Parts: sequence; structure tokens; C-alpha cells
Amino acid sequence: MSLRGGCAAILLGSVIASAGLSYGQSQPLEPRPAADSSAGIELAEAEFVLTGEIQQPNPQVAWQTVALPDSWHKLPRDRSRLGWYRLRFNLDNAPESPQAIYLPRVTNNIALHVNGVLLGVSGNLERREMSWNLAQFFVVPPRMLNAGRNEILIRLHPDGMLRAGLSRVHVGEESQMRALFDRRILFQSTAPKFIAALLGLTAILSISLWASRRQETVFGFFALLCLAMKARLWHTFARDIDSWGWVIAAPSISWMMATQTYFVLRFCGQTSPRFERFIALFAVASTLLLLLTSSAGVVAATFVINSLVSLAMLAVLGRALTRVPKLENLTLLAAVVINFLLAMHDLVNYQEWFDFDTLYILPLGGPLILFAMAILLIRRYVEVLQQHEALNSELVSRVRQRESQLTDSYEHLRLLDQQRATAEERQRLMRDMHDGIGSHLMSTLALARVSSLSQHQMEETLTDCIDELKLTIDSLESVESDLLVVLGNLRYRLEPRLQAAGITLVWAVNDLPPLAYLDPENVRSVLRIVQEAFTNTLKHAHAQRITLSTGVDYANGRVFVRVTDDGVGLDNSKPAGRGCDNMKNRASKLHGAVEVLSLKGGGTCVNLYLPLARIG
Amino acid sequence: MPRVLIVEDDPAFRTRYAAMLAHDASFDVVASVGTGGEGLAMLDLRKPDILLVDLGLPDVSGIDVIRHANRTLPTCECMVVTVFGDEEHVLASIEAGATGYLLKDASEESFLSGIRELMNGGSPISPIIARRLLRRFQAEGPVPSPPANTSPNEAFNVALSDREREILLLASKGFNYPEMGKLMSISPHTVTSHVKKIYRKLAVHSRGEAVFEANRMGLIRTL
Repeated sequence: MSLRGGCAAILLGSVIASAGLSYGQSQPLEPRPAADSSAGIELAEAEFVLTGEIQQPNPQVAWQTVALPDSWHKLPRDRSRLGWYRLRFNLDNAPESPQAIYLPRVTNNIALHVNGVLLGVSGNLERREMSWNLAQFFVVPPRMLNAGRNEILIRLHPDGMLRAGLSRVHVGEESQMRALFDRRILFQSTAPKFIAALLGLTAILSISLWASRRQETVFGFFALLCLAMKARLWHTFARDIDSWGWVIAAPSISWMMATQTYFVLRFCGQTSPRFERFIALFAVASTLLLLLTSSAGVVAATFVINSLVSLAMLAVLGRALTRVPKLENLTLLAAVVINFLLAMHDLVNYQEWFDFDTLYILPLGGPLILFAMAILLIRRYVEVLQQHEALNSELVSRVRQRESQLTDSYEHLRLLDQQRATAEERQRLMRDMHDGIGSHLMSTLALARVSSLSQHQMEETLTDCIDELKLTIDSLESVESDLLVVLGNLRYRLEPRLQAAGITLVWAVNDLPPLAYLDPENVRSVLRIVQEAFTNTLKHAHAQRITLSTGVDYANGRVFVRVTDDGVGLDNSKPAGRGCDNMKNRASKLHGAVEVLSLKGGGTCVNLYLPLARIG
Repeated sequence: MPRVLIVEDDPAFRTRYAAMLAHDASFDVVASVGTGGEGLAMLDLRKPDILLVDLGLPDVSGIDVIRHANRTLPTCECMVVTVFGDEEHVLASIEAGATGYLLKDASEESFLSGIRELMNGGSPISPIIARRLLRRFQAEGPVPSPPANTSPNEAFNVALSDREREILLLASKGFNYPEMGKLMSISPHTVTSHVKKIYRKLAVHSRGEAVFEANRMGLIRTL
């Protein structure tokens, strides 16, 4: 997989780069005369004297020969005095091009003279300064050097500091010396500065990430680890020995160990509560100790304890990271181990068991941790994307499935609905047939069985049946709550018969509001009632004129349909007929009412009242 | 003398129609057939002025016979004879081009007067059908101005006039032609000829070549 391959390549590169910070110096050598003038001269021997004055030592002082590099670390030299180094070398010819002097490591401020002339100083001689890891470079104009013997005089200012010393001194062509100097300074200073910036930026990003996802403490501890590493780097640039950069230099190692422990355990999802508590306490204790005392013994003791604790840390983290052998865990393990080795290297270097000008390389280990974290984040991001895509496609398929289920159930409901509607319609029609045309035909049949029917009777009965059918059919038409259409259609049906009977129908309708409850069944009831009124008039009233009027009685929340005739009126001696009762029953089912009145001047009035809105 | 073609599969009714028309000397029954196929043939052969057709024919639908008559004999008046004069059958016939309809159980007198009325340029209309037509034509409210590429004449032809709208409204309330004439201060004959025009407009909608234009003018939603 390309991710794995890429990670492995970067890891390998990092390891090689870390390991390849090859000590930018060669093994101790005898002073090398300029056999090849282009390679420059490496001076491995000097004469040394300790004086109390800033003036060049007078010729009577006793110079003592020392090998370079010359570290004061284990020597009982008085750090309050000034150290002088005199280096001599021969040149075959007086150089014509600019020359340079390159010192891979000088821990303290120096002033450098060539052939008795002050060439330059390394920093501010008025202050106590420690250039911990820095090389020095001085350009020498060609006229300052002679053919034959030349002398370099270096004044070293220990300023009372424990560390002091001078590496070998290189003299040669300026361009060559500069190349050496640049290579050294890249690992000594440029890279650590760049890494410090990177750590600061990463810490900010990580804190932002943690702020938006509080439960992911791994980001918080990662930010703290970055800050601890950045704090540790500070003293590699700070030259003022009394500045904060130097104050926190020693305790920051314990911070790195504590934050690294917390970070790594959360990184791989493991816990080690006892060790976590211990290392946090250890960081606090060692910080207090180092801030309160400045004894060299305490510092040295702390470093020993640090080494032991970091071995324990390595064991805890190693076990945690190998429990689940995922790529990011193993990468982080490699980073932790390499950092541990770098730290051990620096610790040994600090004891000056290596050459004095050996590089301090722990600052270069920071990117390895960043790299492991980057792998974790990339893995997570890719995983989240893949999960997201998988989830999306699953959602889509689930939505589709749901859709088809819905369609099915909708279809099912629709079918049920249709079946129910059909059943209701069938029931309604059955009732209608039974009450209307069926009973008509039955009574006609009964009549026909007992006596022969006249043609007139037959025609009348069949007409009644057909009227029934028409009424049923008309009730099925969509009338959209419009009662006038219902009445109009009845008129349209009855008009020929009224005309044949010589009756004039006066149509005095007024507009009616829509009656929402007018479904086919209710329409049929209304039709039956009004038709009954007409039929009664036709059969019994001997009228010449029928008036149908409609109107609204808003006060009582009802509409009325009034059928009046100019016929003989009701026969009050007889009880109201069955037709009349039927009308009243149907009207009450509609939540309405029917009244049948005799008019004073003769004639009948049938009033049908219907509610404006159905109540209940 | 108007020449009448009868297409009716029930022999009893066929005979009855022929007999009723025979009583009136002003009509000439040129053919009386029992199938749609024969009806189509007779339309081409005899070119009648009046077609009386039943919808439920055994072979070809009565609607197709009307459509054929309307296409090949523009002056032929088509009348449907239906059992109930119900909305579905009547509207379908009008869309196919019929301008009148009769009920099968009509008395001889109303049967003949219906045909005569049609010959005089008038069509019957029931309140329910009036209401349905009103709904169809009014579905989109006022007729929008016709698109530039449609001739104004054509657009005008398929839109209802205010008067036609009013007639449909009154008819839907149950008023008959004389009453409508009185309410609108026009003669009943004018009313009935308006109704015929409305039928023609509906038929234009449903004719294949006009459907597109009609839809574009937003006259009707479903046809």
C-alpha cells in the first residue's frame, strides 16, 4: 500500500538523517601540515596559559602544550581567569586570496588574534555567554598571513562557568572553511531552529484540535510534548547563560519524558496509571529541585536519575506500543527508541566521554515524533473517509430499500382503500337496489301474479324503476358540494313529465353556500326528499304551478329548499302518508328537517331544511 | 329534407327510432344499421345530415363513429342516444364531436323535438354537464394572451366567451333556456346555439391536432 510505503520511506530517511549527522569532524590527528593547501590545515595542538589580565600575556609566561580539543571539564583550572591558546603554523607562501579560521565548537566567548592583530570576537565579551553548540568562523585577509611562521592567539572567557574548552582549529581558503562551517552550523543551529518552529506550530494545531475534541486527550498531550521539546531546544540558541532558555534546559528533559509517556499511552489506547502518576511526580520534583539549586552535583545526579527513569519509560511505552502492532504504533515506537538513543548519546556527550566537538543531536529527534503522529492522523483521516463513504452507500441503499418498502406499503394501503371504497359502494348500491328499484320490481311482480297489469300500470311501474335508476346514477356524479346542481339535475329529469302533466315549474333558486357533506349518499337522500315532494304534487295536488325556491337562513345556520304548489292542499282529515314520514326520516338523517304545510289560499308547501355545516 | 343515419345495435330501439322519425315527414332515414362498421360505411356512402348513434356498439365504439363523422362530414350533426344521459358518456361524445344527446326512454315528442332543436342550431345541456364544462374551461382562470406563433383566431375559438361562461353558470343552477334567455335578455334560441358552440369548443380541445395548442394556452389540464 502506498501509504505504508511512503511512511516507511520517510521513516527510513529520518533514521538515516539522524544517524547521518555524522560527526562533522575527524578522528584526532597529528597536526596536519598543508600538504594539500586546498584542504586547509587542522591544528590539533596548542600552547596554553591561564592569566588574570585581558592584555596579551607577556613573553615571560610559561606556555604549556595541550592537545586539541582541549576541554576544561575535568581539569582543575580557575574558571574566573582567562585562558590563552597560542597556535602556530607554517605557510609555504603568503596567500593571495582570503583565508578563514573555522572552529567547530567553542563553548564560551573568545577573542581571536592573528599574528598579533585582533581579528574578531565571538560575542558580547561584557556578558556571560555560552555558545553551547555553535561553531565560529573568522575571515582572515590575505595580507595578515606571512610566508613561513604564523601565530593564532585565542583568549577564552570561561566567565566562571563549569564548561569551557576549545575544539581543533582549521585554517584554510575562505570558501572551503565556509563550506565546513555551513555544514556544521546546519546541524548545530539551523535545523534545531527550524524544528523548534515546527514544534511550536504543531503544538498550536494540536491544541486547536484538542479544543474542538476534548475527549481526544492524545492531542492535548501531544501539544504538551511539542512544547516540552521546544523548551528543551531553547538553550541551543540562547547565549545568555542567565536567560530562561538556560534555566529550563535541565528540567525540560523530565517534562519531555512525562508528556511523552502520557502522549504515547493515549496514542496507542493503553494505560499505565501507576507509571503515569510516578512520572508526573518525577517531573514536578526534578523541576523544583533544579530550579531551587544550581549545584553541579544535583544536575549531574538528575541526569543519572533521568536516564534510569527514561529506561523505565522506554519499557512501559515499548510494551504499550507493541500490544497492537499497527503501523503507526510501530512508527512511534521507532521514534521513541531513536529519541531515547539520541538522548543517551547527548548524555554521554555531556559527560565528554566523546570528543569535545561532538554534536548534540537530541534536538534533531523531534520530527520523528511528529512523523509518527502524522501517520496516525493520516490513517485516521483515511479511515474516517472510508467509513463515511461506506456509511453513505449503506444509507443510500437503506433509503432505497425503505423507499421500496414505502411504495409497497403505500400500494398495499391503496389497494385496501380501493377495496374498502368498492365494498362501501357495493353496500350502498345494494341498499339502494333493495329499497328502490328492487322493491318496485317486486311489488309489480306481486301485482302481476294476482291480476293482469294494464299497459298503463306496467308503463308507470317501469318508469318508476327507471327514475329510481336515474336518481341513483345522478347521485353518483361529482357535484362538489353544490346543492343547486343537484336540484337542477332533478328538474332536468322531471321537466318533461311536468310538462306532459301541464304543470309549470317556477325556478326561484338563490345561490347557496357549498355544503361540504354532500357525498353521493346524502345527495341521494336530498334527491329522494325533493322528488317525493314533486311526486306527491303530481299525484295528489291537481296543481298547475309548482315553485321551487332555495335560500339561506344564516341565523339558524341552515339552508332551505321550498316546494310549493297551487293545488288542493293537504287533506287534514287523513294522517300524513308514508311518503311524508319517509321525507322526515331522511331529513333527520341529514341533520335537517322537513315540514309539510297547507297554504291558506290552497296548495301545499314542503320545506326542507339542511344544516350549513354538518354538526357531529 | 335532413337525411338521418341510425346506428343502434338493439333492433327494438332501432325500429322505434325509425318509426318515430317516419311519423315526421320532415326527416328522411337513409339507413338504419346495427354495427359500428356498417355505420362507418353508411357515413361514407350516404353522407347523412344527422347521425343518431348508440355508444355501446358490438364492434366499433360509438365514439369512433362520431369522430369519423365529424372528420369526414363537418356539416353532419351527431346525436348520441344514451340510457341515462350521464356525464361520462355525454362528455365523451361531445369531445368526439357530438352536439346533442337523447335519452332512450324519451317520449316520441321530446325525441323529435330534440332532433329538431339540434337542426335549428341548439343543443341540450344538463346542470351536471354544465358544471363539469365550467370546471374544465375555468381551471386556469382567465385565458392568457395567445403565444405569438398561434393565430389569434384559433386562440379565440377555443376560449369561452363571458356569455358562454354565464350560460354554463346558469345552466348549472338548473335554469332552463327560456329562463336563461330572460335573465340574460337574449332569446332562448340564442342561448341554445351558444351551448352548441361550447360543445364545438370542447371538441376542438380533444381533436388530436388541437390538443397541443389548447394545452399551450392553458385552457385545460386533463383531456
